[in-house]
Amino acid sequence: MLDLLKSQLPTLITIAIALGAILTTCAYLIYIERKISAFMQDRVGPNRVGPLGLLQPLADGAKFLLKEDVIPGHVDKVLYLLAPCVAVFTAMLAFAVVPFGPVGDEPSWMRFIIAPDLDMGMVFIFAIGSLSVYGVVLGGWASNNKYSALGSLRASAQVVSYEIPLGMSILGVALVSGTLNLEQILAQQAKGGFLAWNVWTQPLACLIFFTASLAEANRLPFDLSECEQELVGGFHTEYSAMKFALFFLGEYTHMITIAFLMSVLFFGGWHSPLATAESAYPGAWAVKLGVLFAKVLLVILFIMVIRWTIPRFRFDQLMGLAWKVLIPLALGNVIALMVIRQFGLSLWWSTVASAVMFCIAGAISTNASRAALERARSPLATAG
Amino acid sequence: MTWFLDHWQLVLPLVLGALALWWLMPTAASRPRIVGALLGIAALALLAGNFAPAADARVESLMTAVFGVSAIASAVMMVTNRNPVYAALWFAVATLSVCGLFLMQSAPFLAAATAIVYAGAIIVTFLFVIMLAQQSGATAYDQRARQPFLASVTAFVLLGGLLFGLSKARPEALPPSPPSGDSVLDDRIVAAPDPPRPSIGAMRGLGSQLFGPYIYAVELAGTLLLIAAIGAIAIAPRRTQGQL
Repeated sequence: MLDLLKSQLPTLITIAIALGAILTTCAYLIYIERKISAFMQDRVGPNRVGPLGLLQPLADGAKFLLKEDVIPGHVDKVLYLLAPCVAVFTAMLAFAVVPFGPVGDEPSWMRFIIAPDLDMGMVFIFAIGSLSVYGVVLGGWASNNKYSALGSLRASAQVVSYEIPLGMSILGVALVSGTLNLEQILAQQAKGGFLAWNVWTQPLACLIFFTASLAEANRLPFDLSECEQELVGGFHTEYSAMKFALFFLGEYTHMITIAFLMSVLFFGGWHSPLATAESAYPGAWAVKLGVLFAKVLLVILFIMVIRWTIPRFRFDQLMGLAWKVLIPLALGNVIALMVIRQFGLSLWWSTVASAVMFCIAGAISTNASRAALERARSPLATAG
Repeated sequence: MTWFLDHWQLVLPLVLGALALWWLMPTAASRPRIVGALLGIAALALLAGNFAPAADARVESLMTAVFGVSAIASAVMMVTNRNPVYAALWFAVATLSVCGLFLMQSAPFLAAATAIVYAGAIIVTFLFVIMLAQQSGATAYDQRARQPFLASVTAFVLLGGLLFGLSKARPEALPPSPPSGDSVLDDRIVAAPDPPRPSIGAMRGLGSQLFGPYIYAVELAGTLLLIAAIGAIAIAPRRTQGQL
């Protein structure tokens, strides 16, 4: 038993470090998000607690713990309490296969990935991610509130739809890399240098992955399940105190995982001119760690800026985007890469194919929206 | 009759299990659930001696047992629950337990695919439909099992056939006298060490198998699914533009 514990010690330390880092980061991401929102809306943002409001997350955390923990009447108590736990649990579990540093360069007492050498890394993330919708669905249904129920109805339809383009956009990367293991995908990009980053050869897959994962995480412009203007708070209307905080924690952990996946799959992970795969100077692993974290932070900031840039979709637009735009584009991307791999063409043809498909999709949708506008203008439009 | 007596190790737990399931089925009169639970536990305990997993590591056999028992228990809970939402959730738990069993049999891709397709998509769709359809609660006749006795008997006759087939295919798993202690288990492991096999369950092995020897089956299944999808789109009611 002691031997078992001893052999698992690095894993336990890694889990502890990752958990602590994620919790702290989530708290400060909320602060950053509020500051960015304030900046984009020409406000000041939180500035009362500590210098520049930097202690605001601590105050918020204390409030989450100390406020009254309300359980409304007539809720389904088991599921009501289970839902936030499921939300956090699935979000945390998905992080287990994400390499959050240069795997292989680390000190011996820890690792930069919780579950190393998992052959089906990406499939594992999809499997866990597909379970994350249970938190939202159960929370909304158990709350005994029609706004919550509407929010969870929307969430279930949305997540099931957007899983398909999410999975298909990864197929291209898997075809090129020949593996679904995140560490190996990262290592191949790092070995190939700056031009081997997957974003250059598969920009369309990158865009589809980013869009679909925003929808999976219920972030704006896809937060139909909790849109404040229509549904009060959506699925978490009836939640308060720590249970509400758990939902928030799940959402922000999801966002961190997305940012890591974007960096690792498409932007070369820790690879940069400062520290390439060959550089062996002391402290190279720290530079790599810093580079990866910088990329992740940039992606997160981009997600936050998008929140205040693009208005929320209507529900039929949301479904149309998934089924009529993203899935055909992802399918086209996979077919293009299959052709390229089969005939041994240069990978840069994939960039060309992506650009062509993007332009065709743009032309089609511009045409369709113009036709819709004309229909709306004509007086007979109401006849349908 | 003597056949049944000879195979009491298989028949007795099946009968007990069928009784447990029938007892737990939702009916008009409420029964104490503890009786059914005890019957079910007795059935599982009787079966456990016969179908002990032949794994060498203790942790692994423990995990297999946990996943198996949780799969069976949540399946029973799913069938016997009055609330359709809870039934769907127990179905999800049963599916995830089966995924765990796949994982223990080194088929990680099968486990992940089952989790994505069943737990992630199909049961979510169930929940969607239940939530959409049952806003005002279930009626009285929805809360009763229609044919609890026949359903239990049919299910357990099928299960008995399956278990009997398995015990025929692996005769050492059902010895005439129950093995005592660990000695038999150890002998079996020493006698038949696992030869190093290519991992068919992993992504690469599974892919080359599916698109190698089984290519026609895969293409046939794909065509069937495509036809079904086209049929579903054709059946779905069409609405004019702009109406929901």
